[in-house]
Amino acid sequence: MGHRILVGIDCSANAQRAVDYVGAMLRPHDDAAITLFHVLVGPQPDIYPDAAQREQELDKRHRRAHRQLEAMAARLAEIGVPPDRIALKIQVCDPGENVSSALLDEQRRGGYHTVVVGRRGMSKREEFLFGSVSSKIIREARECTVWVVQ
Amino acid sequence: MFPAHVRDLIRSHTPFAVPEKIRIHTDTTQFMDIKAGDCIAVEGRLFYVKGEEFEGRFGLDGEPKFWVKRVIDLHDGTSKILKLAFFESFFMHLGEERIRCFRSPHKESRILERTAGDTRFMQGHTLYDDAGNPVRVIERIAAKTFYDLIHSLEMDHETYYYEVFPGIFSNLMKAFYAIKDLHQMGEIHGDIRNDHLLIEHDGGRYRWIDFDYTYEWPGQPYGVDLFGLGNILLFAAGKGFHTLHDLKSSRSAFHSVLSDLREEDFSLFFPNRLMNLKKIFPYVRETLNKVLMHFAAGAEVFYESAHEFIEDLEIAFRSFLWEVPYGS
Repeated sequence: MGHRILVGIDCSANAQRAVDYVGAMLRPHDDAAITLFHVLVGPQPDIYPDAAQREQELDKRHRRAHRQLEAMAARLAEIGVPPDRIALKIQVCDPGENVSSALLDEQRRGGYHTVVVGRRGMSKREEFLFGSVSSKIIREARECTVWVVQ
Repeated sequence: MFPAHVRDLIRSHTPFAVPEKIRIHTDTTQFMDIKAGDCIAVEGRLFYVKGEEFEGRFGLDGEPKFWVKRVIDLHDGTSKILKLAFFESFFMHLGEERIRCFRSPHKESRILERTAGDTRFMQGHTLYDDAGNPVRVIERIAAKTFYDLIHSLEMDHETYYYEVFPGIFSNLMKAFYAIKDLHQMGEIHGDIRNDHLLIEHDGGRYRWIDFDYTYEWPGQPYGVDLFGLGNILLFAAGKGFHTLHDLKSSRSAFHSVLSDLREEDFSLFFPNRLMNLKKIFPYVRETLNKVLMHFAAGAEVFYESAHEFIEDLEIAFRSFLWEVPYGS
């Protein structure tokens, strides 16, 4: 089995940097399979109490995430990674669940050897309020390698 | 419901004159139109509207909250608060940080249900009007705010710290445990402030109020609550906040420590608010000060849950129980 890489993607510039880095590093490796993984936070019923409105919002977010993944896949292909080595995956995580847990669950489920995330460049205040995905991944990842791309 | 019957109820349960024309609202969507002297009828219950609640932040009367009505329950004449459905989204300032906040009646209804019977929280239940709007019927609490309690204490800090603070700390621990339990249910308070913690006039119980704020973010859901808990702890331990401005003022007794203060001694969110209380009050226990310093600009590690916060705070609290003089 080849080397399986899980790349966490969101709609930020740091995700793009992570993809560029992964592309440059893995382009020459024929046995590396890359999964671009977007953790989508579902609209909360507390904020969207109407089920139809919630469904509509989820659909909007899903399409946006898919567009983002496709753009990142195109970027990888441009760098020289063959498209058949790139997979796209979106997972909706429930409100209250966090992105780092969803990424690490996927790592365990899929038996990925490496997890890649971009470092967001958060301020300390943002880190206090929102938590840092990369810090949590570094702390909690087991039996895999973690790349944090600055 | 016949107007004559409603008139009788108003007459027997309120001290107010019965209005000539009684308006009874069964749909509360247009809550701005519901005025003092009107009645609200929901699920067979009837409430006489006395007026609106006011913003009342930190001892000042602010804008009226048109969606929050002060009422008399015409079933038994008790005073209640009706919170009507109002959805809004706005940016909230946490010191220098700005985050998008949503008002969610459904969230508050759910928390009322999940904390029913737990007197560490305000009590109430939800009824639904003819349009399906949730109407939260809240029991009124005769109380003062934590903010007012601390400001009413007229004594120097050292006397306060040794004689009054241990009792307050004990009550605060119970209130902090309540938030920890809320978090364990997967809920957040959403707006933890010195004036959202009430102290009952009768018995002195500490109770949390107002749970209708919520936020949307993918990461750590408890950050805003932890920010609030840190502020309350600082406010309690310091007997108010101490800003650089206060410390520099001509009446300040702390001029000698000014040169020793560093940026990292101040709050992460309020760069003028001193977090490192030990620099001005050397008798503050190290264990307590250490917890406060997790909210300072110099902190390298932040609390991620109320559980972590309380775990550290318990060490400080136990040292008060043992009465270790200047204990660490």
